Amino acid sequence: MARFCLKDSDKYYLCLSDQPKRFDADSPVTNVFFDDTNGEVFTVRSGGVTGVTVNGMDDSKSTSFRMEDKGPIISIKFSPDHNILAIQRNLEGQNATVEFVNFKDLAPTNVEYSHTCKWKNAKILGFVWPKANEIAFITDHGVELLQVLPEKKQLKTLKNISFSGAWFSWCAQSNIILLAGNNGALLQPFSLSNSTISKLQKLEVEWSRPVVERDVFVLRLCGGAWCALFRHADSTTPAPAAGPTEVWLIPISGGGATQHVLKTGLVGRFAVSVIDQLLVIHHQSSQTSQIFDIMEESKPENNIVIHIPIVQGISMKPAVVDDQPCPMYSGNWVVFQPDYVIDARLGCLWRVNLVLSGLAHSVPKDEVSKIVATLLKRQNGKETIYRILNQLVSEAGTYLVQLTKAFDEINSVYRKWAELEVARNTAGQAAPARALHFPVLVSQADVCAHVLQAHADDGHLVQVVTTYLASLSRHDMVVQHPVAELCVRTLVTRGAGGRLRSLVRRGCLGDARPLACQLLSLGHIDPAAAQIALDMMWRLKAYGEIVEVLLSWNEPISAVGAAKQTGATWLNMPPRKLLSAAKHYAEEKNEPTAFMAVYHALVARNERLRGNPNFIKGEQCAVYVEYYRQLTSEI
Amino acid sequence: MIDVKNKVNSFFIFNSSFGPKEGDELKRILFFHPTQVTSDARKMQVGLCEAVVKFMTTFSSEPCEALQTQSKRYIFYQPEKGFWMVLVVRIPYATKSSTTTGEKKDVVEPSVMYDLLVSAYKIFRMFIGPFKDIPPEDIYSKCEQFFTPYIMTRNITNNLSNIIQGINYLPLEKNSFFKVMCFIDLLEMNYPDFKCISFVYNDQLIWNGLATNDMLTLYQYLVQTLLPKQVEKEIQGGAVTAAQRHGRFISPPDGICSAEDLQKLHRVYLMREDDTDTKQYYLVIYRTLSATVCFTVDVDTELNIDTFRALDAFIGPQLSTIASSISEQCTMHALQSAQLASSDHKFLYFNRLNLACKTSTPATSLTPSTAIKPEVLSIIAGIHSDRKGLGNYGEVIIKTPDEYWIAGKSSNDREFYVIIQDKNANLKDIADEVKRMCEDQMKGIFFYPM
Repeated sequence: MARFCLKDSDKYYLCLSDQPKRFDADSPVTNVFFDDTNGEVFTVRSGGVTGVTVNGMDDSKSTSFRMEDKGPIISIKFSPDHNILAIQRNLEGQNATVEFVNFKDLAPTNVEYSHTCKWKNAKILGFVWPKANEIAFITDHGVELLQVLPEKKQLKTLKNISFSGAWFSWCAQSNIILLAGNNGALLQPFSLSNSTISKLQKLEVEWSRPVVERDVFVLRLCGGAWCALFRHADSTTPAPAAGPTEVWLIPISGGGATQHVLKTGLVGRFAVSVIDQLLVIHHQSSQTSQIFDIMEESKPENNIVIHIPIVQGISMKPAVVDDQPCPMYSGNWVVFQPDYVIDARLGCLWRVNLVLSGLAHSVPKDEVSKIVATLLKRQNGKETIYRILNQLVSEAGTYLVQLTKAFDEINSVYRKWAELEVARNTAGQAAPARALHFPVLVSQADVCAHVLQAHADDGHLVQVVTTYLASLSRHDMVVQHPVAELCVRTLVTRGAGGRLRSLVRRGCLGDARPLACQLLSLGHIDPAAAQIALDMMWRLKAYGEIVEVLLSWNEPISAVGAAKQTGATWLNMPPRKLLSAAKHYAEEKNEPTAFMAVYHALVARNERLRGNPNFIKGEQCAVYVEYYRQLTSEI
Repeated sequence: MIDVKNKVNSFFIFNSSFGPKEGDELKRILFFHPTQVTSDARKMQVGLCEAVVKFMTTFSSEPCEALQTQSKRYIFYQPEKGFWMVLVVRIPYATKSSTTTGEKKDVVEPSVMYDLLVSAYKIFRMFIGPFKDIPPEDIYSKCEQFFTPYIMTRNITNNLSNIIQGINYLPLEKNSFFKVMCFIDLLEMNYPDFKCISFVYNDQLIWNGLATNDMLTLYQYLVQTLLPKQVEKEIQGGAVTAAQRHGRFISPPDGICSAEDLQKLHRVYLMREDDTDTKQYYLVIYRTLSATVCFTVDVDTELNIDTFRALDAFIGPQLSTIASSISEQCTMHALQSAQLASSDHKFLYFNRLNLACKTSTPATSLTPSTAIKPEVLSIIAGIHSDRKGLGNYGEVIIKTPDEYWIAGKSSNDREFYVIIQDKNANLKDIADEVKRMCEDQMKGIFFYPM
């Protein structure tokens, strides 16, 4: 199978961010914690006595401070506004307590307090900050949502819900907690929005085995919250017969009713990232990362859609740390939502980035349009789309079909957007965030400016332009002037005037004044172009222009006829121009009656306009009045 | 209705320079039809024509066009210097001089005869080449081989569609047209030796890649000669085998199955749209359902049967999809136009720039437009051939003694004729009716306003 390779593209489509955030590596005296809500790494040296360093992607939020060592820390997290630090410690008999320290300008104040959860015997599984002043304790007895009042050093219970859970998974982007009850046989999501806890519909997992914590991720993807479940082959079957692992995406909220099944084709340990609405599955033993797009064109069967990776899995681009190649997919890596990677041993915090051009590095010829469709849904996808299109156009001899499909993808997205815009404008609703649904829109002007214009010398431009027009037509889009102009220019310079005329005659280019003028200007080399230009002007009711054309063709009588089509054109027509043309015609063809006909028509007009047949002085027609007398006296 | 077989008295081609000496007169006759005419009679006919043509040069630099005697009408056409093609038809004549115009209805219009000669020559030139390029020793057999079957199959009638030599274009919705275009583009890219020069559906043209004049010739060859035979074959054959359902090469007539068949491909002289002069090509014709596609291949190209097989596999399925979608559209179109109130007035439209021709009655030979009287046709033919009469722009309305009104309009290189049968109408009624029909039938086309 022939493959399309995007020129100057790297084979990697994923890379780690350039400069990792460095922190002290995990060691017997240093503990490292990660807060995925704020995306921050806490390094706690000697229980905080020799210092706590907070590092995040946002340097302005990084800080360091000291605190007393009151016991081993289980979890340490800032509130989203960095004004309160919450710490959970592993202390005998105090399992249900969380300590708080108020912060000001990222420095600790000495205001400290603590709160014990409602269920005295409960064990806190963890806590999360859904909002700046709200904290939720997730315990084995249930979830308690509290409001923190830092000035009063108090916490106030907002809501609590009892549920017996063994472990939980938290999605900061959706504010959803997924609690596993009944030893992982029951998955119950809770939403922590609007200062309350709402119990969502429990997830039906009809599997023979309970789900374990490392196989569950709650993530935000394409505007919805999903539970990603790794479904490994049944371990009771002998290993060689076991199938590869599948990832089931079960909608929790906002994702519709459709489940998605991602076929990884691999077995072993996995981790998940979400980048730009794509689901990335990292596989440790093969050192590859696969990309899935749940938005891709698909047909659900029984509400289940099966996906395969967009492109063949490949490893992330090798990273360099301290001028040394960094071990990729190492066992020290921890992957957090949505796109963080931590190497605790090296002391690095990265984000995973998408390299869009890598997606087109090497794709089977038939799948180029699929890549374009994927890129249309990515932020910053435009540049890569242009690169792909430009290469397809340059090699149109091989890729005409693929180019056609790529144009179809682009136009279908544009068309959908345009329809929504129209609906929005007519309904007068508030603008939906355009970037949400349509991160990339490639307009006709864009295609002209960034793709077609650069190929003026390419051999197959005529076919490329035709296929672009065909795609526009299939999507019921009006051909805009830049495209029409480029089309005319291309077809005429390539000796495809016949094609141009056929396209115009069959209404493929649409009627427009600029197009008509362009065609008219071709009249001297191609009379048929002028003929259809005049037809077009007629359909556009451009009578003023028609009059000018006919006068320039030495057809004064027809010009008068055309001018008379509308009152406005006729009444505002400068008579001198018509008379001069008519005189010229009459003398050249020796047909004085032609002049007289025009003259009579104008006299009748004067009568109607001013109640007087005479021309007014400003019209400077005296010489023609004289000519008329001369002609009539001869007869 | 008259046909060539009965009314054509003779058809011949001569060149006086081929046998300048006395006694060599027969050499001057390159072709003579019918064959049963004795050589003496041939010599006499040709001799008369030679004399007339020569005699006329005394009076005009323009070549002689016609000669009419009491019983015969001779039409002359000199396509190349020295080569004369002559068509002779009998005219029924009455001995009494009191015959009225009503009785001369069986005469073929001179312009129709002239057009026949012109298209005969053009098809000859397309397949064989110009007369002057043929070695004199071959010219007799070449003419014999070509013109005998040609003249025998020609069915010339005085009907609306014969008066103007035009091309019937298929109106097509733009998406279907794009399908055709993109199919052609893809094919030409995959098989760069093959250039698509025409795409015809039934007898209507969709795409043309030739210079306009050559297109008319090829179109006439397809529609008048090749396709009727092919359609007949398809109807008779009935059992089109499953293998053939996707389409086949129809020229040579038995298709292309082996390398030997490639030798039978016609060579044609044509000028493509982007060419500057006429070149020789192989003509390849492929047909599926009702769609016929013609290609040219440069004669210098090494023909390879595998290429043709691959081409067959490529075109077949795609073309049949396109053909059936066009057929769907045509059916829909036909239904729609059937619902429109059809006017009983007949019209004829012709665009001199792309030779598009449209008539109110379908121009197929199966449904001849019976109702039109020869003298009406003769008037239209007159207006059409006398281009100077209407000029660049003009309108004429003519009333015949037997209640026919004929309106002719010329503007912007287009012609539009309307035939109205109405005894009681006055000139203004007719002018209004013509205007209305023009607006109805020729939507979006600009006729110079009066």
